[in-house]
Amino acid sequence: MARGVEPGLGRASALAIAPELCLIDRQPALEHAALVDIATWAGRFTPAISLAPPNAVLLEVEACLRLFGGLAPLGQQIIQEIEELGFRARLAIAQTPLAARWLARFGCGDDASAPLAGRLDALPLIALAEGTPVGPDSLDLLTGTGHATLGEVRRLPRHGLARRHAQAVTNAIDRAYGHIPDPCPWFQPPERYLSRLPLPTPSDQVDTLLFGARRLLAGLAGWLDARQAGIERFTLVLEFERNSRTPEAPLEIVLGTLSRDMQRCQLLAREHLNQSHLPAPVDALRLTADEPRPLAPPDGDLFHGDDGQQGDGGLLLATLRARLGDRAVRCLAPHPDHRPEKAWRWAEPQPPERGRPLPSSLPSSPRPLWLLPEPRPIPAPPPWTLLTGPERIESGWWDGPEATVRRDYFVARSQDGGLAWVFRDRAEPHGWYLHGHFA
Amino acid sequence: MAAATSAQSLEHLVWRGDRLATPALPGRPTGHAALDAVLPGGGWPLAALSELLLPRNGVGELGLLLPLLANVPAGRWAICIAPPGLPYAPALAAAGVPLERLLIVQAESPAHARWAARQALDSRSCEVVLLWLADADMGALRRLQLAAEESGTPLILLRPESAARQPSPAVLRLALRPCRGGIGIHILKRRGPQLAAPLALALPWPGGGPRPDNGLEPPSAASPAAQPPPVGKHALVRPLPARSAPPGLHAGAQ
Repeated sequence: MARGVEPGLGRASALAIAPELCLIDRQPALEHAALVDIATWAGRFTPAISLAPPNAVLLEVEACLRLFGGLAPLGQQIIQEIEELGFRARLAIAQTPLAARWLARFGCGDDASAPLAGRLDALPLIALAEGTPVGPDSLDLLTGTGHATLGEVRRLPRHGLARRHAQAVTNAIDRAYGHIPDPCPWFQPPERYLSRLPLPTPSDQVDTLLFGARRLLAGLAGWLDARQAGIERFTLVLEFERNSRTPEAPLEIVLGTLSRDMQRCQLLAREHLNQSHLPAPVDALRLTADEPRPLAPPDGDLFHGDDGQQGDGGLLLATLRARLGDRAVRCLAPHPDHRPEKAWRWAEPQPPERGRPLPSSLPSSPRPLWLLPEPRPIPAPPPWTLLTGPERIESGWWDGPEATVRRDYFVARSQDGGLAWVFRDRAEPHGWYLHGHFA
Repeated sequence: MAAATSAQSLEHLVWRGDRLATPALPGRPTGHAALDAVLPGGGWPLAALSELLLPRNGVGELGLLLPLLANVPAGRWAICIAPPGLPYAPALAAAGVPLERLLIVQAESPAHARWAARQALDSRSCEVVLLWLADADMGALRRLQLAAEESGTPLILLRPESAARQPSPAVLRLALRPCRGGIGIHILKRRGPQLAAPLALALPWPGGGPRPDNGLEPPSAASPAAQPPPVGKHALVRPLPARSAPPGLHAGAQ
C-alpha cells in the first residue's frame, strides 16, 4: 500500500511496483465456506441468520437484545468473539438488511440510534451496487448527472429514473429505506459440524496446532450454543503437507460426558496432540462433530460460588485415557467362569455418574484379593502350611487342552505369616503353584 | 470466661506432642475400630498424604483398604494407580467393592503414575487415590502432598519397606507386616506420640466365615520376618479324602 499498490491495479503493474509481492488467487469456494462458518457460529446470538454472499452475514437481533444487554454490549461481544474465530468484522446495525450491509461496507461507524434515512443519505453512490442488481451503467448515469450520495439520488423523481432504465436503483433504495419488504432466506446451520482451517504455514509444533484447534473449537461452540446441544466426542483431523504423501491423521477426542464446554475440549485436544506422533508438518486442521444431543445450559450459581466438592469424574477419565491410552485406564469386572484366571475381565469404564453395576461372578469359596498374572511354580511339597482345601476346580475343556484347568486349590500360610492361594496341578507332573495372595 | 472458651475452641490449632493431634477435618474411618482409635482424626487423614510401607506385595494392604474402597459413593471414583499385580475382581466384588467405580490405571513409568495421581487429585472426583510408587524423591512426594492438601482427597501411597528410612512429608506412615490372623501395623509417623507396640489388626475373611488361621497373634516389634515359621501349629479345617491326598498335606496334618 505504501508503495502505491492499490485495489484495481493489474497484476503486472502491481508486480512492477513491488516485485516481492506475494499474490494469492481468490478462492470463492473458501470465501463461501468462511461465510458459512461465521453464520454457523453466529447461531449463538440469534436463530435468524441469513447469508449475504460474497462478504456479509446478516443477523436479526431485535428479539435477543434483552438477553445480551442491549445493542452496544451485543455488538461488542460479536466483534470480540469473532476475533477468536480468526476473522475481523465490520459491524453495522440498521433497521433493514440492505441498509445494514451498506453501512457496514461504506458507513463510518455512526450512531445506530439515529434515524435510518439520515444515516443512509450520507453514503456514497457506489453503495447502490452492493448486494443489488444495480449495474455499472446506472451508476454511470447517476454520476454523470452530478450526484454523489444516496440522499441526492433519493430525491430524484422516481418516474424519471424508471424511464431511464434505472428501475433497479429505485428498487434498491426502497428496500434499504424500508419502503418495501425485503425478505431474506434464512440460513440453516448444518446437521453435522465440519470446519477446516488451513494453517498459514505448515507446522509440527503442538502450540501452533492448538492455536488452530482453538479457532475451530470457537466455531463449534457457536454451533452447539445455537442448538442448545452438547457432544460426547469430536474428531480433529490433521492434514499433512501434500508432498509428504502422508495420509491424514484423525484424532478421536472423547469428552467423557455430554458437554459443550470448550475449556474441556481444548484441554483434551492438547493431551491428544501432545501424544500424537506427527510424521510430517501439518498443513490444515479439520474439525468434525456430529450427533449433537440436547443439553441444558449449566445452572448458574447465584453467587458464583465453587463448593469444590464435586469434581468431574468424566473429565478425569477422558484426560487419563487421552495421555495414557485407552488400554491403560480400565475397570475390572467379574466374569462367570470357574477358572480363576478367566473369572474376571477388563471392562470399559463409564463416567461414574452413569456406571451400572457389573455382572456378578459365580458363587465360590473365598478368593484372594491379588491374583498373580501367571501361576508361579513353588517347590513340591510346598514349604507352607496348608490351612483349608482342597477346592477342586476342573473346567474349561471346551476351550481346548491349553485352557483346561484341573487343579486342587488350598489356602496356605507362607513363612512370613501371610495367606496365599496355592494349587496342585492334577495333570502330570503334579506341580505346586502359587496363584494369589489373600491380602 | 470468654477467654477460656475461645482458648478451648482454638485448641485444635495447637498440637501438643504428648497427645494425638485433632486435625481440622476428621479423618475418613478406616473400617477397623482398633486402627481408628490410634489415628489422629479417627481415620485416614483427608487432604493429606499417607504412606503404607510393605515388605512385599500382598501382605494385607488391600484387605486393610477394602472398607475404604467399598464405601465409594455413586458418582465418585476410587482410583488405583500402577498396582504391582492384579487386584482380583471376584474377591473385590465379594467384599462389596463397587467395581464400576474402581478405576485401575496402569502406568508405563513412575512419572506417568505421578501425573495420573496429580490429575486424579486435581479433578476432585475421587474418593481416594491409591498410588503404588517404588521410589520417589522428596520433591515429588512434597508435590504430591501439596496436591492432596489442595484437593481435599486422601492420597495413599504404597511403597516398599526400604523407603521407611527416607524422610517423607506424609502425615501418616504405617509399616505393614503380615501376621497370623490379620495384619501387623507399626505406626512410624503420626501426629501424636509414638505408639509403643505394633498394632495387630484382624482382617475379615472373605465370605464372612472364620479366618482359617484364626487367633490373632500380635506381631513382634523387632522383626517378624526373622521369626521362625510356625511349624505344625496350624489347623486343618477340611481334611482331604485320602485317595487324592497330596504328600505335602499329610506331612502337615498329622
